[in-house]
Amino acid sequence: MNRAGDLLERIVAGWAILGGIVLLLIVAVTGTNVGLYVVDAIVPGAVRVISGYEDIVRLFVSAAALMMLPYCQLRRGHVTVDLLTEGLSPRVVRRLDLASLGLMTALPLFLGYWMIFGMLETRADGRISPVLEWAQWPFYLPGLVSLALWALVALDQLRRAWRESPA
Amino acid sequence: MGERELIGLAGLVVLFGVLALRVPVGLAMILVGIAGNYALSIVAPFLRFEPYLRQFKTLLWNSVASYDLAVVPLFVLMGFLASRAELSRDLFQGINAFFGRLRGGVAMAAVGACAGFGAVCGSSLATASTMGRVALPELRRLRYDPRLATGALAAGGTLGILIPPSVALVLYAIIVEASIVETFQAAIVPGIIAVIVFMGVIALTVRLRPAAAPEPEVMAPDERRRAILRLLPVLAIFGAIILGLGMGLFTPTPAAGVGALAILVYGFAMRLWGEPGLDLPKLKGALLDTAVTSGMIYLILFGAEVLKGFFARSGLPAALAGWAATSGLDPWLVLILMLVALIVLGCFMDSLSMILVIVPFFWPVLVEINGGDWAVADSAAFAMSTEDLKLWFGILALVVVELGLITPPVGLNVFIISSLSQDVSMRDTFRGVMPFFAAELGRVALLLAVPGLALFLPHLLAR
Repeated sequence: MNRAGDLLERIVAGWAILGGIVLLLIVAVTGTNVGLYVVDAIVPGAVRVISGYEDIVRLFVSAAALMMLPYCQLRRGHVTVDLLTEGLSPRVVRRLDLASLGLMTALPLFLGYWMIFGMLETRADGRISPVLEWAQWPFYLPGLVSLALWALVALDQLRRAWRESPA
Repeated sequence: MGERELIGLAGLVVLFGVLALRVPVGLAMILVGIAGNYALSIVAPFLRFEPYLRQFKTLLWNSVASYDLAVVPLFVLMGFLASRAELSRDLFQGINAFFGRLRGGVAMAAVGACAGFGAVCGSSLATASTMGRVALPELRRLRYDPRLATGALAAGGTLGILIPPSVALVLYAIIVEASIVETFQAAIVPGIIAVIVFMGVIALTVRLRPAAAPEPEVMAPDERRRAILRLLPVLAIFGAIILGLGMGLFTPTPAAGVGALAILVYGFAMRLWGEPGLDLPKLKGALLDTAVTSGMIYLILFGAEVLKGFFARSGLPAALAGWAATSGLDPWLVLILMLVALIVLGCFMDSLSMILVIVPFFWPVLVEINGGDWAVADSAAFAMSTEDLKLWFGILALVVVELGLITPPVGLNVFIISSLSQDVSMRDTFRGVMPFFAAELGRVALLLAVPGLALFLPHLLAR
């Protein structure tokens, strides 16, 4: 089971890096677009700026943003407020942690369930981006994979926390 | 207050209760938002729950597929690339080449570097942590008074929230529907004042207590030239972003993209030059760090979206605003109470969560007591239009959130710096930070008394 956990960790880290590469693509497209804009300002008409730049950023970032969520969960990066728990016994804190992880496992499953319908509806409606006219539904797919990975990571953390918690 | 507003109020209380039990902020917001909507559908059957749930088909995707919000992961990436490329060290050493010849100059250089790095990083906690690692060893080696060294760094770290481009400013602007660029412009003068005031505090401390800082070490000319040369590209990158944004030459998303690209190219070029710079493992590390921070921010943003829907349906913000408008309370008292509440909450709550949870409640109240959405300066309670109020309140709110980060007994920046300097007690770090805390209170009073400090630049550049 540990091997499965390690494999999951590697997959999630790889998925987050892929999300980062999508972000780097946005960086590259932005750099190119700004460069073209500058050239066009100096020599009018010499080049054309990238048409649909905002579409590219919007669609790519929709994938990149969700691809980062499983790794954030893996590193327990979601911010919490340590106000009352410092004074509680470790036993109570562990139980709160279990409850929190249980809810964190349910959340991506809930979101993923509804997002599947969202993707099917977007496809059926033929929704496209305003300028490039790219179909939007394929950009739901990285999000769905991300939500599944996020649920798996939270479930694995819940399993480990359950095993470590006293009866 | 009707049943719906009471459910809204109960939702707010439950939210703080759930947060106190260490449930992640984003998750707590989503839970309260969904459960609150369910409760509303019971007391007000026309607010049906089933159609509400169907919103989740596209709500998540639509909230992340945003051109304006793309600026968030791009700025985060830029900050981590700068950190991994060790630009923080270049900044510190470069500024030290100018200030190091003064008594207390290395501490001043640390504050200046905090401001520079905070500009690109956008997070106070990350600024305190990064600059603490870079500057604290040098300050300790030179035998600076531990209280002055840790205090200056904890206070300097707070500059990250305010100095543009800052993620906190972007989120604030999105919430109150202000122009991001104008919000950045409004933050520039108060940010510069903070740097000058913090450096002034160091100079005064050293003057009153010369033993707090050693005699300045004279930097060898070669070393000084190298430090300044290495500072120039860093200043060029940061300066281009800040000036470009401040002067409205480009919008935040392209600025963040170009900034990240510039740091990437510079980092790899430095590596080829034989300097630390960036390599593939560091790039991988920066991408993973970006994933953690951006994932955290996106979950809170989505949580805020869900929570906003619940509170809007409950009518609570509108009820609070209506109550404030008819209560006859002094507008300035209300504003000061809000700022005090932000300072107290800032002691234990993350700044981004605070902006996303608290500002949506405070903002409608302020608009109402100022004279409503279409208030004009002549008849408004704060003698400014709603558009100006957005900018002024945003700067005030972020300054007091900063203050919360160094407020005893739980200032988060103090904890970070204290953890980096094992031999300095938390008590000493808090004592060291107190002069800066007092100076910050003075800055808040100055901004309250002279709103033009925040509004001057946006007005000037709008002409």
